[in-house]
Amino acid sequence: MAARDNHGTGAPWDDAFRVVGQPLRKVDGLAKATGQALYADDVQLPGMLHAKILRSPHAHARIVSIDASAALALPGVHAVITGADLPIRYGVIPWTPDENALAVDKVRFVGDEVAAVAAVDEDTANAALDAIEVEYEPLHAFLDPREALATPEPQIHADIRGKPVRGNVSKHVELEFGDVEAALAGADLVLEGEYSFHGSTHAPIEPHCAVAQVSADGLLTLWSSTQITHYVHRALAQVLELAPERIRVIQPCLGGAFGGKSDPFALEFCVALLAQRTGRPVKMLWTREEVFYAHRGRHPMQMQYRCGAKSNGRITGVDARILIDGGSYSSFGLVTTYYSGQLLTGPYDFPSYRFDSTRVFTNKPPCGPKRGHGSVQPRFAFEVQFDEVAERLGIDPIEIRRVNFQGDDTQTVNGQRITSNGFLRCLDLVEEASGWKQRRGQLPYGRGLGVAGSMYISGTNYPVYPNDMPQAGIQLKLDRSGVVTVFTGGNDIGQGSNTVVRSIVAEELGVAYDHVRVVAADTDLCPVDLGAYSSRITFMVGNATIDACRKLRHQIVTALAEAWEVDPRRIRLMEGRAFDVEDPDRTVPTREAFQVAEARFDTLGSTGSYNTPQLGGDYRGGTIGASPAYSFTAHVVEVDVDVETGIVRVPAAWCAHDCGRALNPTLVAGQIEGSTYMGLAEALLEEHGVNRFGLHRGPSLLDYRMPTSLDVGDIHAMIVESVDPEGPYGAKEAGEGPLHGSIPALANAIHDAIGVRLRHLPFTPGTVLRALRDQGGKGEGAAVGSTAAATSKREAR
Amino acid sequence: MKSFELVRPRTLDQAVTELAAGGAMPLAGGQDLLGELKEHLADPERVVDLKRLEGLDGIDVDGEGNLTVGALVTLTALEEDPRVRERFPVLAEAAASVGSVQIRNAGTVGGNLCQRPRCWYYRTEDTPCLKRGGTECFSYAGKSKYNAILGGGPSYIVHPSDVAPALRVLDAELELRGPGGERRVPVADFFTLPSEGDVLKENVLEPGEIVTRVRVPALRGTWRSGYEKFRERDSYDWALASVAAALRVDAGRVVEARLCMGGVAPIPWRVAKAEQALLGPLRDESAWTAAGREMVRGAEPLEHNGYKVPLARAMIVKTLRRLTT
Amino acid sequence: MRRMRSLRLKVNGDEVEVGAPDHWTLLEVLRYRLGLIGSKQGCDKGDCGACTVLVDGAPVLSCLTLAALAEGREVTTIEGLMPAHVARGGAGADPVQDAFDRCGALQCGFCQPGMMLSARALLDRTPFPTREEIQQALAGNLCRCTGYTQIFQAVEQVAAEAAGIEPAEPTWATYREAGQQPSPRARGVKGEDA
Repeated sequence: MAARDNHGTGAPWDDAFRVVGQPLRKVDGLAKATGQALYADDVQLPGMLHAKILRSPHAHARIVSIDASAALALPGVHAVITGADLPIRYGVIPWTPDENALAVDKVRFVGDEVAAVAAVDEDTANAALDAIEVEYEPLHAFLDPREALATPEPQIHADIRGKPVRGNVSKHVELEFGDVEAALAGADLVLEGEYSFHGSTHAPIEPHCAVAQVSADGLLTLWSSTQITHYVHRALAQVLELAPERIRVIQPCLGGAFGGKSDPFALEFCVALLAQRTGRPVKMLWTREEVFYAHRGRHPMQMQYRCGAKSNGRITGVDARILIDGGSYSSFGLVTTYYSGQLLTGPYDFPSYRFDSTRVFTNKPPCGPKRGHGSVQPRFAFEVQFDEVAERLGIDPIEIRRVNFQGDDTQTVNGQRITSNGFLRCLDLVEEASGWKQRRGQLPYGRGLGVAGSMYISGTNYPVYPNDMPQAGIQLKLDRSGVVTVFTGGNDIGQGSNTVVRSIVAEELGVAYDHVRVVAADTDLCPVDLGAYSSRITFMVGNATIDACRKLRHQIVTALAEAWEVDPRRIRLMEGRAFDVEDPDRTVPTREAFQVAEARFDTLGSTGSYNTPQLGGDYRGGTIGASPAYSFTAHVVEVDVDVETGIVRVPAAWCAHDCGRALNPTLVAGQIEGSTYMGLAEALLEEHGVNRFGLHRGPSLLDYRMPTSLDVGDIHAMIVESVDPEGPYGAKEAGEGPLHGSIPALANAIHDAIGVRLRHLPFTPGTVLRALRDQGGKGEGAAVGSTAAATSKREAR
Repeated sequence: MKSFELVRPRTLDQAVTELAAGGAMPLAGGQDLLGELKEHLADPERVVDLKRLEGLDGIDVDGEGNLTVGALVTLTALEEDPRVRERFPVLAEAAASVGSVQIRNAGTVGGNLCQRPRCWYYRTEDTPCLKRGGTECFSYAGKSKYNAILGGGPSYIVHPSDVAPALRVLDAELELRGPGGERRVPVADFFTLPSEGDVLKENVLEPGEIVTRVRVPALRGTWRSGYEKFRERDSYDWALASVAAALRVDAGRVVEARLCMGGVAPIPWRVAKAEQALLGPLRDESAWTAAGREMVRGAEPLEHNGYKVPLARAMIVKTLRRLTT
Repeated sequence: MRRMRSLRLKVNGDEVEVGAPDHWTLLEVLRYRLGLIGSKQGCDKGDCGACTVLVDGAPVLSCLTLAALAEGREVTTIEGLMPAHVARGGAGADPVQDAFDRCGALQCGFCQPGMMLSARALLDRTPFPTREEIQQALAGNLCRCTGYTQIFQAVEQVAAEAAGIEPAEPTWATYREAGQQPSPRARGVKGEDA
């Protein structure tokens, strides 16, 4: 049974950290800086073929026939595969396997994969795609989630896992905690509002890429730009009907993911099968356009919220109804639907709460988990409404958030266990740093400040597929040279999880930081970790690493104590040396200490693991969203709105984030800054949507406008260390929480600046001008917006 | 990108002959062309590299102050040229606003003028729109956020060039070279509306013809000029609305005004009545407002680009405020 | 039919001769013919800057440059920075590369070869750039991880070190809850009373 020893939050040696907490370099930083780091597309194998995928031009259609004979006849084309070759369905959530690597019978969105070819080079592969004849019978395409909800036929999915699908509903969850109607009836103020969140996508700079090689004895090796090596391993075994011990999955250096590489993707299955069919290595690199169609990004949501509050600002109850546009497949949608409700119950105390969330299928690129999975959209709606509650009650927006603070060491209304909670400190910090008290309401027209709070999970105790094994495992190997090698299944996707592992080992075993090597995300070499999602790696892999280190430490200390004939409590391992704390002249380099221990105990190595405690409410779905610890965040955003052009600039944003303990503050700051940037970007500039043909309206990094270095303001990251009893040395997550509040804080700042409530994202210049016209704004600028009433040419005809 | 043959002539005559033979496209900086080829909007058999042609990469100012810019001059060279910055700030500012650093380092003046539209229907291989020989301008009933509010129909593209509005207010001329020889065309006559020219192209260039030089006449008297560009991102983006303005100022009064907008119409949009409205006292907000009103008179927004009407007016006011302060 | 051409290129100081089809870009030749995989393909359409290389010292997009057009010009890729630094008597990575690593600017690292070359070109021309000059110079390189803050700090650190002055403190700071012991050497740590 997996160890669940709690190793405490303190430093391993004499209560002072020597490595942890330092702004140290990343384990792979210089390799990345010098161009030596190998990413999936950098894998070049002798005799390698290049594969390409033929995609559906229809949003919804039945496949009548596929004729690939002309493609196969082209010189240089080695194989063509279609859905018939890969008929087994899969899905990252085992309850909803509704995807085929290549479409079987029908296509469900423009871009759905239909056939794949392997050829000597990319040009030939592209020519082969042009030669494949596919006959389609188009079906009615649902592009509007309301229509999909109201219209059961034609069904996008008829059945999943043998169970019939109800109309086009992907998932429905309705949960109530306490008596919401009574709570709202007892409130002094009840606000009701509609909010909407548009689609946005991850847009990592590295496109998806996979390379497969099959050995003469049938072993399949797959290099893939994935953030879930373990699930890809399982999915390959299932779909290829290949024993898992014949498959090795390796994640090379990963060029960004943000949730966009956390499903198994068609290219992984296709290169594997094509390598089997051709006996040659096969690579597939997706174009930027294909990455946009692969999507799995933020779900568009239409949200209705009701919030009741007493005149002192205390919330009495919250009621939410959410329609979630899931796109064409389930992906993580079951979890998304729960998260849309389950993760709102902090950092404020909700005496009662109800949510009713429905995810529907539409014929659009499939949505999935993007940084802040499922909870960014509801957080936006709630925090904007909450701001309005404060305004109506005449309470300062920061003060109302303090008044409702749930406290630490408590339980939420939906049964989630809260351990440490540094939210009040976060609020204090952003209030002071932004000059809130002096500046809010005092800035000239067009400029304003807004606040928002949020919380997020540090991993989840829901392990995607039910099992009793650890969620995270670690193996250590000690070498006589003094090098420690760590084997971790964790996926470093740029967030620096391998660096965190290295720091913990250096701290625990007292070895020099650069004597620790990290081998990661290789299913042949590393113990299983479930992957980089739900902000789980630092928390779970970190705990597992401490666990493994403590076992080895015990052996080293015991061996030295015996050799030196002293009490083991006198031994210290620090900064590359072992010494006797009562006789510091008695000291050897850790290398020699390793040798003493190896002589005493045999070859040195250890394992460690982590599993979550039993968590969550005692109801169906109560474990989804239950996390061993929660991070908390407060944002203040400053805006500068040009009421003539409608453009919104963010000169500064302050984000205080309670990450428990910062194991490496440079990395934590990078996560806070990157999250805040990403939230502001999707609120102001980015939009992932399709036109009336179901075609992506701009599948390029020009049309999908992520901010450049000229479009960002100053982001001030403040790291709050609450030190959590469950986390490794007290650490919690930092990679997703700091995105949430940036968007509602921006909306609230716009209200402070121009008196207009924006409830529908994104906040483009056109939206701002329209809102100024419709809502009037405050002060002299209102007249400018009112002139925007140019009639539409189409409306006029 | 499909394969092609790269032809590398040394002389203009050879280049024009190669281009006139059909199935060929000219390559200068390649910043638009390679994008077109990669998106399969064009699949030429031959690409004619113009970069080896001599004498087209210089910036000259003659004794009278007339400026000549070779078509192969990069946008970076144009934006950094001290003579251009001093005498024709509108042109330097327009060049500096194009694309990104990298694109300006490679992109040329000629290429900027001849680049193809950025409408997303045009750029998507799967929508064979009017500009690619289809029968429908999909933006008309579709997503029209970036399309034209003025001069549209049957196509509603906007011309993406930043340099073009600047040259338009400088009353520049273009030197063209084609199979039929050399000719000069004022910038005013170079760009064509979809309703009056061939809807498949944006200018009067004949098959095989290329832009070789830009000639800008000296500005006499005291001029103030500048370029303001409104875009969603401050790098990479094309204008949602941009304003090139040049004012001749004498004794605290505007005695001559030229005003041209980019990003709102299929051609650089210059309106005489808007310019007339500016004549008079140097700082006259009501004149700016009047100029803005004249500039967008007759605007017919599509479903998603109505915001461009007030935006265009606001941009004119902003530009004139800056130039007269 | 694909037309092959023999190209003479000068890359990171070396004269090389390679054969490539006419339609190949400089990026393809660097990655597929010369094995210089440090130049990354992010979009292949000039929209992201990950493929940025220096041509005669100026940043250009190798994905929008036909390989043939780089003949007769000096091409520098990310692989060329450290050797050039060592040849000048330095040790290890170029100061830009080192500062990017130190400051946390390399998260996923995929955009950074291009970003660092843009930064190198800026510093070669303008050794002590302002924040605005840095923002302008890097505006052709998209980064999805960092929000750019640590990148700006890295470039500023290179300039500060070259000038022999103490680099500015990072903009982030750590705040410990009461009763927690601060790490002894952590930078930017502010206690309860800050």
